[in-house]
Amino acid sequence: MKDGFRTRMSLLHTWAGLILSGLLFAIFWTGTLSVFDKEIDRWMMPHTRIHMDTVRPLSVDREIIPLLAERAEGAKAWTIVLPAERRPFLTLAYDSAKSHIAQRNSFHPITLEPLPAPNTRGASNFIYPFHHNLTLRQNNIGALLVGIASMGMLCLLISGIVIHRRIFADFFTLRLLRGFGRANLDIHNLTGVVLLPFTIVITLSGLMIAHLIYFPKAPDAVFAQLNPASVTQERPKSKVREASRKREQDVSSENEDEITDAREGSRNSPARSRFIAESQGRVRPQAIGQPANIAAIDPMIAATESELGQGAVYMIRVSNPGDAGGVVALRLNSDNSVSQNIDNRRFSTATGEELAHFNSSSTTNIFNFIAGMHYIKFTHWPLRWLYFIAGLGACALIATGLLHWTQARNQKQGSTGFNVSFMNAHNIAAITGIISATGAFLVVNRLLNNREQFAGISSRDLEVYAFFGVWLACLLHALIRVFINKQYGYRKAWAEQCWTIALIAIAAVGLNWITTGDHLLKTLFTHTYWPVATLDLVLVISAVMAIYAARKLSVIRES
Amino acid sequence: MPKDLLLVAIFSAAYLSFALFALSQVRHWRVVFDKALPTQREVLLLRSLGILMLSISLALSLVRDGASFGSLLWITMIGVAALAVALTLAWRPRWLRPAGKLFSFTHPDTGRVNHKMNQVKG
Repeated sequence: MKDGFRTRMSLLHTWAGLILSGLLFAIFWTGTLSVFDKEIDRWMMPHTRIHMDTVRPLSVDREIIPLLAERAEGAKAWTIVLPAERRPFLTLAYDSAKSHIAQRNSFHPITLEPLPAPNTRGASNFIYPFHHNLTLRQNNIGALLVGIASMGMLCLLISGIVIHRRIFADFFTLRLLRGFGRANLDIHNLTGVVLLPFTIVITLSGLMIAHLIYFPKAPDAVFAQLNPASVTQERPKSKVREASRKREQDVSSENEDEITDAREGSRNSPARSRFIAESQGRVRPQAIGQPANIAAIDPMIAATESELGQGAVYMIRVSNPGDAGGVVALRLNSDNSVSQNIDNRRFSTATGEELAHFNSSSTTNIFNFIAGMHYIKFTHWPLRWLYFIAGLGACALIATGLLHWTQARNQKQGSTGFNVSFMNAHNIAAITGIISATGAFLVVNRLLNNREQFAGISSRDLEVYAFFGVWLACLLHALIRVFINKQYGYRKAWAEQCWTIALIAIAAVGLNWITTGDHLLKTLFTHTYWPVATLDLVLVISAVMAIYAARKLSVIRES
Repeated sequence: MPKDLLLVAIFSAAYLSFALFALSQVRHWRVVFDKALPTQREVLLLRSLGILMLSISLALSLVRDGASFGSLLWITMIGVAALAVALTLAWRPRWLRPAGKLFSFTHPDTGRVNHKMNQVKG
């Protein structure tokens, strides 16, 4: 009975692993990189490599409102994102009479000069979206695929524990020098068991964050029961809102929308809008139509920060400025709590009077804690690094799982059928392929060096094409190698792609030096700037490891 | 920087705790100790000390960062510490000898640390 169960779990583990691991590796890899998305942004957007130590607090009334007054004529809403440690510049977003797609501009936090357009998506707008929707936004297909993969990951983790017979006896067992198969399986078991709390929590919280995508009808059911009229009444208006929301999401943004996008996908029904408004306090105040002055905002911030601590306000959203019904909403940062802080403080734009502010309910706060654990928006560097290390461990877990299947079959002479060759090629593309592709994304960013376009294609897109192009090339290379020489071709392909990774990583460090003058000696010692220095160091370490792996792969004889 | 020191202490306690757990297993016991097999008592003692160290690292995490950050820090830290112990055992098992010495100190009769270091297979 028990053995029968184990056998079935083993079958599940094998098949779920074979089908989903390629996708899972991509999700965990981009997720691990997203832990340091803002730091990768600094590397990819050299104009934003600004030291925050010298930045003084800005006055909204004296310094920021004049900037908006000259730019945002007739805007229905202003968004002001204040400079912060991981985002060292001022961001202003505003719509215009011509278009309600918000325009987004960055300004130097000291001089308040406009910063040049970044001309790149950076990690925040490519690697991070790839992590949660594979950049397939149409009908939330990408998010649904990620959801299926995540459910598969949970099955894999649990079935893996069931079929692992000696969890405690082999807890620390890592026989690295006893042949590839043994070492590979030991790494798989070790990372699987030891990182289990991390992998389960991160996968489950990832699924829960996107509950509105996976259970799109849930709010409809609840709100239709509570109040059928309000759901149907709102329909015509919300069509327009839906369309405008969609367009808003197409505009790149660095803070709020990336979260709502991950959470809700790209469609909102009236009931969902209501659910979001009630649970998360995201409402759009309507204009009254009477002109009014704008009250001083600095005192509002001072009042809020005297209550909640210096620097508690990170974003100011002014709806309908210059209208008597205007609202200033101060958004509070999540620097010092695991939970995402979605509470706000609201004031009337016209009178400066405090309005009822949004405080999330305790139920929502439980969700905010789970979501916050996944988003890591807080400022806690040791924890951020631990997430990064654990994320890499999870990548190793998935990769060794894939290798375990192929390696067991590659060892047998004369049994390299189509399926084994296919999986050999698949593994190479899934593991070294996406690593090379990520490197190419960085290299092309530095090659383009902030120009707006190249050969008629915008740089923003060209970087993404480079990512997918290199990934595809890695797949083709692996297929060719594996099918030319079914017995040992995969080994050559592995070695060659490891060399590629090393070359790309060194090229990225070199190009960063050439195009910006920021070499490691400078960013580490003379003008210390950790985001760039760390990424360069990680690239150098990756290159060394890739070279080590490539040399090992070429030296060891087939046994 | 007491916060940095605490961080080192949390990791060290977690590392030491997993090192003690590892030494309570025959395979890893032999790498450090003179005797072929640990007695029941020694296994029990090693594991209780391991649990003690693990609790100390939890307590330090909670002291450093409070309930929410502290528990999250501890959960992720023990995973990384266990990985570190496994890597130590794979690469430089003799680095666990200090942990063994520490244990012999609490338990002087048995568990003498083996200085000849014959690599154990199996």
